[in-house]
Amino acid sequence: MSVAQAGAAELRLEQGASLWTDAFDRFRHNLGAIVGVALILVFVIIAIFAPVIAPFDPNEQVGPLATNPAGPGNGHLFGLDEQGADLFSQIVYGARLSLLVGLVSVGVGLTLGLVLGSVAGYLGGWVDSFIMRVMDVMLPIPSFLLATGLVTILGRGLTQIMIAVGITNVPIFARLLRGTILGQREADYVLAARSVGVPGPRLLMAHILPNSIAPVIVQATLAMATAIIDVAGLSFIGLGPSDPGLPEWGKILSENASRLEQSVHLVFFPGFAIVLSVLGLNLIGDGLRESIDPKLRA
Amino acid sequence: MSLLSVRDLEVKFVTRRATVHAVSGISFDLDAGETLGIVGESGCGKSVSSLAMLGILPKPAGRVTGGEVIFEDQDLLKLPDWQLRSIRGQDVAMIFQDPMTSLNPVLTIGRQLTESLRKHLDMDRKDAEEEAIRLLFRVGIPSATDRLGDYPHQFSGGMRQRVMIAMAISCKPKILIADEPTTALDVTIQAQILEVLKQLVAEENMALILITHDLGVVAGVCGRTIVMYAGRFVEAASTKELFARPRHPYTLGLLKSVPRLDAARKDKLEPIDGVPRDLTKLFEGCAFAPRCAYATEESRERRPELVETDAPGHFVACWNPVPDADLPRIETIPVPTAREAAG
Repeated sequence: MSVAQAGAAELRLEQGASLWTDAFDRFRHNLGAIVGVALILVFVIIAIFAPVIAPFDPNEQVGPLATNPAGPGNGHLFGLDEQGADLFSQIVYGARLSLLVGLVSVGVGLTLGLVLGSVAGYLGGWVDSFIMRVMDVMLPIPSFLLATGLVTILGRGLTQIMIAVGITNVPIFARLLRGTILGQREADYVLAARSVGVPGPRLLMAHILPNSIAPVIVQATLAMATAIIDVAGLSFIGLGPSDPGLPEWGKILSENASRLEQSVHLVFFPGFAIVLSVLGLNLIGDGLRESIDPKLRA
Repeated sequence: MSLLSVRDLEVKFVTRRATVHAVSGISFDLDAGETLGIVGESGCGKSVSSLAMLGILPKPAGRVTGGEVIFEDQDLLKLPDWQLRSIRGQDVAMIFQDPMTSLNPVLTIGRQLTESLRKHLDMDRKDAEEEAIRLLFRVGIPSATDRLGDYPHQFSGGMRQRVMIAMAISCKPKILIADEPTTALDVTIQAQILEVLKQLVAEENMALILITHDLGVVAGVCGRTIVMYAGRFVEAASTKELFARPRHPYTLGLLKSVPRLDAARKDKLEPIDGVPRDLTKLFEGCAFAPRCAYATEESRERRPELVETDAPGHFVACWNPVPDADLPRIETIPVPTAREAAG
């Protein structure tokens, strides 16, 4: 029987529920996760279409200079700041900055962490010991303190700040990945793959990493939330981006903290934006964790 | 000239606390198309020897400390890793014990099957997929075409072991090493898998090394059987001869501890008393001596080597082999075929 020919004609490699399809299914039915996705989606849309959504240039003076600027109303949704600029426009443009900061700093941390963690976990031996001892030294330093120190060294440009916050994430990613790789390295399917002659690098990339990456993805979402808070925090203590034109949420917050009693809107809106974006990311992270974690699988 | 020739293979596991002498000098020859069973209890070094032959011992603890493994005029133990990689899978393939964990959970069966086809036989994707379908069909997976895109968790244990077998035979290896291929499966599935193995080995003229602790399994499949204890071979003979006239007291003990369908009610299973040797300690004499009813003064002092008995091709390492009088009666020897074992 020519099974081969008959088979090739109706090859359907796409079908079949993979672990990821399964995980996605769980994720879809998680209310918190959906709310998180919705929140972040709103922020993403705002960030992309900022010039369309924002009624004014965030740095343009559109109202009177005032010590106690006017609150919402009068054509200004979130009110004005002391320079007479439109607060809503600032928050809208700030979304760009926050998402960028979240993505880039997590990207930096993730890349370095992935490389270090997989090298350590896969090679083992003294390489592992060396890398992990360095990570161990970094880990107990509170991430915010570490970021503060790094910004002081690297400088206060936006790029430097993102790199600094990213670096604080490196040990977390590296340790997480190394741990899962150690567990996977001795797995039977790895031995089976070796027994059919799969070479080392491919073993790591095609077999071990895909089986170890799930907890790292979860951690990445959560780290993005922390990164946004960290950058806002850095801005708040005066170590934010030195460029005065950047409408950073944390910066708006810190500049106006002293005016809390007179003009609540100047503190409330940027703070609320930070809370919402961080909440959204955390909800996604938790949802991912619940849908990917093998312990919660049937 | 035999296909594979193992000489004095020695494997040790070195850790900071102790050194385990896992395999202490084993030698055997394997001819093309031969089916060889290696039997022994857990920890006697059966699996470790096969991993050592393929150069995939767990690192860094496991190391080969002596001997040679000659395959096609080259010593596998001396080959660099890249050369050994092309032999693994292509010339010598292996099936592992637990099909539930031996397949990569995040790759489709198709991806895993085509991996070695594309690497070793240089097939393009389409050819490899067609070949994969043909392979799945051969190991008896129904609607193989539809299952190529499936993930391991969508298969049952028996089906997964079939997939493992398909992977192992994909490049038509000359030697197939099956390490406890049926241990994790229930008895009916066991019989089916053994039947598939037997058929394939016969059709492809592959040599098979079947590693197991189950005498029933070798009885149905293997032409020749080697009994291993504490890292050494203690007895080797054709399977029929071994079951009929076990000369080593350990082999006799193993046979007696197999439950029998035709046993009378009052008959009790006879376990082998004692525990296996602690392989972290060196010792003199026969490894089995402390558990052996036939042990003599000499057994405790000098180690017996494998020597041929009066039956040609029957080797035993024992100073005081089991006498004829103590052999189980011939008609009660359990030699079920795989089909009978299935009931």
